[in-house]
Amino acid sequence: MIDALLREGTTSVPRLSAELPITRQAVAKHLATLGAAGLVERAPAGGREVRYRLRDGALESASEWLARTEAAWGSRFARLKDAVERRA
Amino acid sequence: MPARREIEVEATPEQVWEAIATEEGREDWLQEPDREVRIEVVEEPSRLVWWWAGEQQAATRVEFQIVAAPAGARVIVTESEPAFPLAMLAASFALVAV
Repeated sequence: MIDALLREGTTSVPRLSAELPITRQAVAKHLATLGAAGLVERAPAGGREVRYRLRDGALESASEWLARTEAAWGSRFARLKDAVERRA
Repeated sequence: MPARREIEVEATPEQVWEAIATEEGREDWLQEPDREVRIEVVEEPSRLVWWWAGEQQAATRVEFQIVAAPAGARVIVTESEPAFPLAMLAASFALVAV
């Protein structure tokens, strides 16, 4: 299901059930579970069909988060140092 | 594993505290307009804890320790891991399996 979302970007229950060997009801249930876990969100409406897509950052790993966060604190601390030393 | 970073600055722990613990101080360096900071622990001038979250960022806990150092002060930050969507997903499937 996640592969299908990655492939299509934005998709819908009918499209997913056409592509996957499961019923529309099962697709809807899976989407609800993925939504509750924060992996999938409703895309802005494009016509009558309800469309879904993966959320930004849904597949970020713990090590990617760690590297990004430590780099962000590196930049913030450089600015903090400038700010306090200017005042000190 | 939490993220961790430290830096030494030529200023007193009290001056560093002002820059981190007050909104006016943070305006000079934090530059995170999309995240709301909620202060949780205040132990002036050595320890500050806040939670923050934004529309695109999950809530995390940020802890600062400020200690005296030869140059002035050392600041250590740790930021807790967010609850990762994939881990939450695994947990919700585990619940279904039980």
